[in-house]
Amino acid sequence: MRQRSLIAITAALAAGALTLTACGSRDEGNGSSDAGSGTTVVIGVDAPLTGDLSAMGLGIKNSADLAAKTANKEKYVDGITFKIEALDDQAQPSSGQQNAVTFVANKDVLGAVGPLNSSVAESMQKVFDDAKLVQVSPANTGPTLTQGAKWETEKVRPYKSYFRTATTDAIQGPFAAQYLYNDAKKKKVFVIDDKKTYGAGLAGTFTKEFEKLGGEVVGTEHIDPETKDFSAVATKVKSSGADVVYYGGEYPQAGPLTKQIKAAGANIPVAGGDGINNPAYMDLGGSASTGDFSTSVGAPVEELPSAKDFVANYEAAGYKEPYAAYGGYSYDSTWAIIEAVKKVVEDNDGKLPDDARAQITAAMQNVSFDGVTGKVSFDEYGDTTNKQLTVYKVEGGEWKAVKSGTYTG
Amino acid sequence: MSGVGPVEPGEGTRAWDTPEASAPEASSVPPPPPGPLAGLYARHRRTVLASTAAVVVLAGGGYLYATRPEPPTPPAQPYPSQVVEVVYLGPGSLSAGAPSGSFGFEMELVVESGPPVTVERMTQPYAGLALTSDPRPPFRTESGHPRKIVITMSVTECGKVPENAGLPFLDVTLRNVRAIQVHSFILGERYARDLSDALQVACSNDSASSPKT
Repeated sequence: MRQRSLIAITAALAAGALTLTACGSRDEGNGSSDAGSGTTVVIGVDAPLTGDLSAMGLGIKNSADLAAKTANKEKYVDGITFKIEALDDQAQPSSGQQNAVTFVANKDVLGAVGPLNSSVAESMQKVFDDAKLVQVSPANTGPTLTQGAKWETEKVRPYKSYFRTATTDAIQGPFAAQYLYNDAKKKKVFVIDDKKTYGAGLAGTFTKEFEKLGGEVVGTEHIDPETKDFSAVATKVKSSGADVVYYGGEYPQAGPLTKQIKAAGANIPVAGGDGINNPAYMDLGGSASTGDFSTSVGAPVEELPSAKDFVANYEAAGYKEPYAAYGGYSYDSTWAIIEAVKKVVEDNDGKLPDDARAQITAAMQNVSFDGVTGKVSFDEYGDTTNKQLTVYKVEGGEWKAVKSGTYTG
Repeated sequence: MSGVGPVEPGEGTRAWDTPEASAPEASSVPPPPPGPLAGLYARHRRTVLASTAAVVVLAGGGYLYATRPEPPTPPAQPYPSQVVEVVYLGPGSLSAGAPSGSFGFEMELVVESGPPVTVERMTQPYAGLALTSDPRPPFRTESGHPRKIVITMSVTECGKVPENAGLPFLDVTLRNVRAIQVHSFILGERYARDLSDALQVACSNDSASSPKT
């Protein structure tokens, strides 16, 4: 009798435990990254996926992919499955333009993310605008893209379909000048650029502010980005008496440039913009890069609580390449398109309208959400309203944040 | 009672000892002698069953404890620079006793969310300018309660101020429970223009080394 009672109690306890265990694991379902049904919306991604700048381009592509997968997993837009189609522009304007034509020709493409380079964006804008296909760049900083050629005196938005989540060189160049002049106490600068839209534009906004502050430009040079021998320029830097070099361009040239400047005997820091803010700069420049400066758009990722999930999800997704300088901005650019699609679909009884591209472009102007990089929304020019910048310095082989600023004008 | 199915054996009926009907021939065969383990079990049946029950309960309880739903981790407090906005309002009146060559600006500091933020210090970057503020740091601002700040700047050396800076900023040292940070607030074109105008007035009669007196 007592034995059977004991067995019954044991069985009841075991059954109870198993029942509770089952309850406890009920929430551990495996989500699928694909919604699997309904309409497929393609988001085109244009970036340099091969070549010198692919470290940044692949981070853009992967981060856009993560945003699309997240939207699908969450079934964020009912009845819509998002798909990324990425094309390689090799940082060449002609390739970017061809990619824009390809995207426009695909009726499923309802938005595009990219490109990295402002010069590439210039070649794409009209193609997209003619098709009323919205484009959101995570990385372009050239002011003319949103504010027109005469942006310094008369701002005119050239294309209604172009938006960006990165702030512009109209702020980045002066911010760098203010830091170098006031904080780093540099008074004589040698300015070098690569003659491209981004590099020359950034060098221009930097120079103007540096001179306004009372600094002296003791020399200027342009380099050919197709070469890696900058010894002649390095010699000029050495003899100029400059106490800092400002370079408008990208890391594939900036890395060898800093190495050769130091090798020529000019032991002065090189500073640049977001185009050199990549670990590859230190790989190329070696120990000569120590003490160099860069500015980059946004606040350091570790200061953004909103970026924590992005970083964790990016790692969990198993992408081979780092998200790099523009990963968060690429995620936000993609999500902005997803938000615009959601708005248009919800306003049209749950379906995409016939003129979906035009409506999505119009909806983008009012998109507003809390993204990886902070609040995401756009001003009347298509520029981001979130205008933060950070100065970085090479210490111990890494870019270390030394000062951040917010434009609130 | 008929037609309701098999009746459960009651206590003491020892129904499980009844030989199976499908093997009547076995009824005449004596059961095999119990092995050493069976004998051991027979001698310590209560102990074994009690131990088994205890193990099951402990294992189930342990599993449930290990997999219990965790309360959501409270989000980390934000860095102060990520929740503070400083907006330029316009030129402001000077406080009594302000030195000659001084001028004033009004700002608004907003804590958008999170815990209160204390302004520990406010500076401007130019060597020829001195800055004071009302209220004087340190002062604390809470979310939802914007605070107006009046900045008074005094030119100390005209040769060391920029006459036409494009993007002048204020450096503000912010502290909350998460961190202490020095953050630059770039106040925009209107502030740049007003600052430039004020500097030109202050230094218009003597651009060499001292402010207008």
